Amino acid sequence: MADTASLNMTAASADAVATDLSGPRGPRPRPRFSRRNIFLYGALFVVAVYYLLPLYVMIVTSLKGMPEIRLGNIFSPPVEITFQPWVKAWAEACTGLNCEGLSRGFWNSVQILVPSVVLSIAVASVNGYALANWRFKGADIFFTILIFGAFIPYQVMLYPLVIMLRELGLYGTLWGLVLVHTVFGMPILTLLFRNYFTSLPEELFKAARVDGAGFWGIYFKIMLPMSLPIFVVAIIIQVTGIWNDFLFGVVYTKPDTYPMTVQLNNIVNSVQGVKEYNVNMAATLLTGLVPLIVYFISGKLFVRGIAAGAVKG
Amino acid sequence: MADTVETAVAAAGARPAERSRWERWLIWGIAGGILLRLAMVLGLSVWFEPLGDAGDWFIEGLPWLVLALAACALFAVASSSTNSISLSDNRLRGHVIGWTIAALLLVVLDLLGPQIKSSVAFLGKPARIFIEFCGVHGTFLAAVCLLVAGALATSGSEKHLVSRPGMFERVWASNLTAKIAAVPMMLVALGVFTGGTIWTVVYSFTDSRLLPREKWVGLAQYDRLWGEDRWLISIENLLIYGVCSLVFSIVIGFLLAAMLDQKVRFENTFRTIFLYPFALSFIVTGLVWQWVLNPDFGIQGMVRSLGWESFTFDPLYNQDIVIYGILIAGLWQGTGLIMCLMLAGLRGIDEEIWKAARIDGIPMWKTYLFIVIPMMRPVFITTLVLIASGIVRVYDLVVAQTSGGPGIASEVPAKYVYDKMFLGQNLGQGFAASTVMLLSVLIVLIPWAYLEFGGKKRG
Repeated sequence: MADTASLNMTAASADAVATDLSGPRGPRPRPRFSRRNIFLYGALFVVAVYYLLPLYVMIVTSLKGMPEIRLGNIFSPPVEITFQPWVKAWAEACTGLNCEGLSRGFWNSVQILVPSVVLSIAVASVNGYALANWRFKGADIFFTILIFGAFIPYQVMLYPLVIMLRELGLYGTLWGLVLVHTVFGMPILTLLFRNYFTSLPEELFKAARVDGAGFWGIYFKIMLPMSLPIFVVAIIIQVTGIWNDFLFGVVYTKPDTYPMTVQLNNIVNSVQGVKEYNVNMAATLLTGLVPLIVYFISGKLFVRGIAAGAVKG
Repeated sequence: MADTVETAVAAAGARPAERSRWERWLIWGIAGGILLRLAMVLGLSVWFEPLGDAGDWFIEGLPWLVLALAACALFAVASSSTNSISLSDNRLRGHVIGWTIAALLLVVLDLLGPQIKSSVAFLGKPARIFIEFCGVHGTFLAAVCLLVAGALATSGSEKHLVSRPGMFERVWASNLTAKIAAVPMMLVALGVFTGGTIWTVVYSFTDSRLLPREKWVGLAQYDRLWGEDRWLISIENLLIYGVCSLVFSIVIGFLLAAMLDQKVRFENTFRTIFLYPFALSFIVTGLVWQWVLNPDFGIQGMVRSLGWESFTFDPLYNQDIVIYGILIAGLWQGTGLIMCLMLAGLRGIDEEIWKAARIDGIPMWKTYLFIVIPMMRPVFITTLVLIASGIVRVYDLVVAQTSGGPGIASEVPAKYVYDKMFLGQNLGQGFAASTVMLLSVLIVLIPWAYLEFGGKKRG
């Protein structure tokens, strides 16, 4: 308290020196505990609790033993912390006859995630670049269809894609799913990259053309090094989107290659056996961990990503 | 005298009208040949089947006939050209050579298909399919490539710089790298988005069960669809969920954004907390809320253990209110995003507006209601479209939280489609249901697209 007071003092005196005799400036100071502030922060606090509650419940439940869960309520902190449910969810939990835990789904998801992210961003960035800087007749038609495609319910395109993948011999494989993610990631990413490349100064592009650079030369030597932030945003969108996908995973893969979300759902919602809520919650938390880590690390870029994707979409 | 003027004009770049007409014919001929061949492969050939052998001849020959007509047009273009055609001083020499090489390669693939196929077995199925494709369509495509090469050779025959590039040149030669780079986008836009959608709509009029088949039954699938309880409940659920989630997420999202916009401390912390559910998948969301709403251990259990024995709050086990249980989870996951969009909208409003409103003595809530919100109309519309297109897709959340139960009380259309297509072996129903979903999205989407993009073009 004393600190802030002295700081205010110095600030005020500095101000006074600078603006001699011009009277008080800046907004009228507000009392810290006005009724308005109490309402405001109270409301925000209550909402924050509502938002945090499920996460808290997840963590707390996953650290309890089953007897404790049966006795107590879900909001009470664990008396005896145990990591057994986590181990079980990772390595032993059963889906049907298979008892390998979530680990297999995790590695499947990783195997799907990495090529999907790389492929979809590579294709979409080149597309966006072609649309922004090398406009050709008819490009806008394709782009409009692509944007419309982002809003069309996926259900309409599910079965034709099954047929196409079957024809290519990729149905039920991880690569088939990678292709599907590339296709459905294309509208939003193309839009993102097109808007970004359009916002870059055109003089750079023109100068490079005068110097004799071609399509790929400009892309790799000028556009790519300049657009690191937008690539990070695209990676964030794709990593969370693909990791969280359920529909495509369940349609285009087989039980051996199920991604983590599908396997999680099968573990938790399987009807056989006693429900082990702590293991379920540990499994749920494990699945949510990757996007959560991405979210907390990326911070403002995540917001920028969804805003870029949403506002202009 | 008049003659020399005309040649001068022609030399200065104005193409003879006759020639550009022939060029147009050439383009249409090639495009028509390709499209006709494609249509034959995809099923137009059914029309010619009653003709017997003559029909077979038609199926094979018609695309070739169109290509031959295009070749005639090419000949006409070449003969109406004012300059001599020689490859050495052709502006488009590289392109001409490239297309010729492509034609040769296709012929080679066609002739040596079987040998190549056995020697590239290690490349896997996609490569084999490609070669097989070349074996069937190689000759035709080679002819197309040769025509294109010929067309480029004639249209590039004029040496003067001022000449406006011909239509053919603009389509096939200028900016070719960009066009090739955009091929994946074109394939996706046409093949998957347009083609897939049309395919599903068309096959929704068939009697497909385990596999799609072309037995047309008119609107029978739709009749059955609207007669099924499960579908009607799905639609009702979607309407309730949709309206509530639209209203609540916009209201809550805006209120949260307005609160965060009051220069609060820890704004970043609050925003992080409100937004983190959005990073989680619907599956995780559904499973967490399934647990929180569990009647024995969750909220109801806790309140009862506090002494209020008759307290009931079991949305997931009560048929009448189960959709609201899903709504709670959906709102928890989605409002953070809406808040962020609204916050961005609020920040985009000029500070001067606020100052002016304060000087005029307008109370804050009135400023929001009558000044700020109308100014944020675009943000609201985008949010609306975003939520609306998301609502129709709701699938994972329901699967994780209730699997459609209790009974069929929380079914949604997306789940209906999936179940019919991949579990119920009733493709026709799935196609019909997804077509209805598509229609409902288009009803929202087309007016929005018209407002958003149609206006700009006019203005």
